[in-house]
Amino acid sequence: MVKVIVIDDEPFILMMIEDKLKQAGLRVITMRESKNALSLIKKERPDIVILDWMMPELSGIELCKMLKGDPDISDIPVILLTAKGQDTDKQMGLQCGATLYITKPFSPRGLLEMVNKVIRGD
Amino acid sequence: MIPHSDDACVTKDLEATVRELSDTYEELSLLYRLSDVLSGMSVDEIAEQVVDEAINTLAVRTAALLFYNDDSKKLFTKSFRGWWDKGAVIDNKDRLIWSAIEERKPIAFCKIPEVGSVDRIHDGASMLVCPLIGKTRVIGALVLADRESKDEFYSNDIKLVMAMASQTALIIENALLYRELQEFLLSAIRSLVKALEASSLWTAGHTERVTEYSIAIGAAMGLPIKQIEKLKVCSLLHDIGKIAIPKDILDKPDLLTAAEMNEVRKHPIIGAKILGGFKQLRDVILGIRHHHDYWDGSNGSQKLKGEDIPLMSRILAVADAFDAMSSDRPYRKRMTRQEAINDIIKLSGKQFDPRVVAAFKEWVSRQDPVSSL
Repeated sequence: MVKVIVIDDEPFILMMIEDKLKQAGLRVITMRESKNALSLIKKERPDIVILDWMMPELSGIELCKMLKGDPDISDIPVILLTAKGQDTDKQMGLQCGATLYITKPFSPRGLLEMVNKVIRGD
Repeated sequence: MIPHSDDACVTKDLEATVRELSDTYEELSLLYRLSDVLSGMSVDEIAEQVVDEAINTLAVRTAALLFYNDDSKKLFTKSFRGWWDKGAVIDNKDRLIWSAIEERKPIAFCKIPEVGSVDRIHDGASMLVCPLIGKTRVIGALVLADRESKDEFYSNDIKLVMAMASQTALIIENALLYRELQEFLLSAIRSLVKALEASSLWTAGHTERVTEYSIAIGAAMGLPIKQIEKLKVCSLLHDIGKIAIPKDILDKPDLLTAAEMNEVRKHPIIGAKILGGFKQLRDVILGIRHHHDYWDGSNGSQKLKGEDIPLMSRILAVADAFDAMSSDRPYRKRMTRQEAINDIIKLSGKQFDPRVVAAFKEWVSRQDPVSSL
């Protein structure tokens, strides 16, 4: 079973993503704080990580950089979520090693499609 | 100097921020509008209003508010706009809408053929179902479909509808509780009145008839529903003070002596005193207290006249007299209906408020168009 870790400080977004992915038969672990996320990712070794860009304490970009810099988990693909929608942001997001970049607001179906795409390695 | 491309970035950044702010603003203003508009409305009115708000705010063509019936464990349509089968009854066989209720979470679908055909929504458009959960019970669900943009529902839409649904659920739950409390109060009052009427053969049915007449006159005057509700309670309780009047006076087969008449005349004040503990019934109590006062002040034990007499009392006076005149009493036979109507019209401006008599005439003529007024 495909395992996904979702980290976002907004409970509503977490709930929405969790519901949609679970419906599609994926295993979902959610987390509201980015602070201890890295150890959870190391422990769980998910197939994919979905990160919110704007989080207090540790931003999605910083977390993504840390993940990609850790040889144990650097192979795990990352999807970045953000409300920002400009090209430079996108570049910054992808430069930190994220596989995909999804802007909020997004549709639950659209998100699932992206997750499937990343899992298949398209 | 700031390069041109940075300018473009700043503009885009600003656009994104404005978009976020406008989403937040929309959500807040919707919630404010809902609580402002819906409070004090009846359940039916709330249901209509919510569907309208959903149509406008989410730019959908179809919206339906479903109510959950706990006895049958089914959902029924309460109000809707657009392409919706209002007779649709939804139970646990429905995979889409029911699952939102069961999981207590909103569910957004699109390309509906993926999850099987749905008769209720045409064209395989997208659909959003949000359960309405109150503090103590499941209220129902809000179904939105058929976006004008042909687009699917996005995270911000879902969040907005969720906020709307939780606010709506609380308001509807309050309205339902209020209605249940109101019904409880009315049945308690009816029991009280039955106890009163059981003690005297002559007054049996009087209260229910007077209540029917008062409501009819109030409606003919165009009173708002809240006031009609109060009028109903006032009419049901108007003779409660007779409990304290000796039974042999009430049932006396002859005309009353002046002293006995004095006793009977106390019943509005006694009634008002008996009910004095109900703070919520203040208007009703005033209505009862003055229901035997005359418009011209000539029955002046309480020194009120004209519009100083509460409107409820003035309506009740006509309804009460009309029933008394057209019913048998221990000491006299009843008048014919027409005689009673004529007497009331004759007393307009003297015993009765002319405006109330006019409404009474209108009601009577509607009931019985051939009677000559």
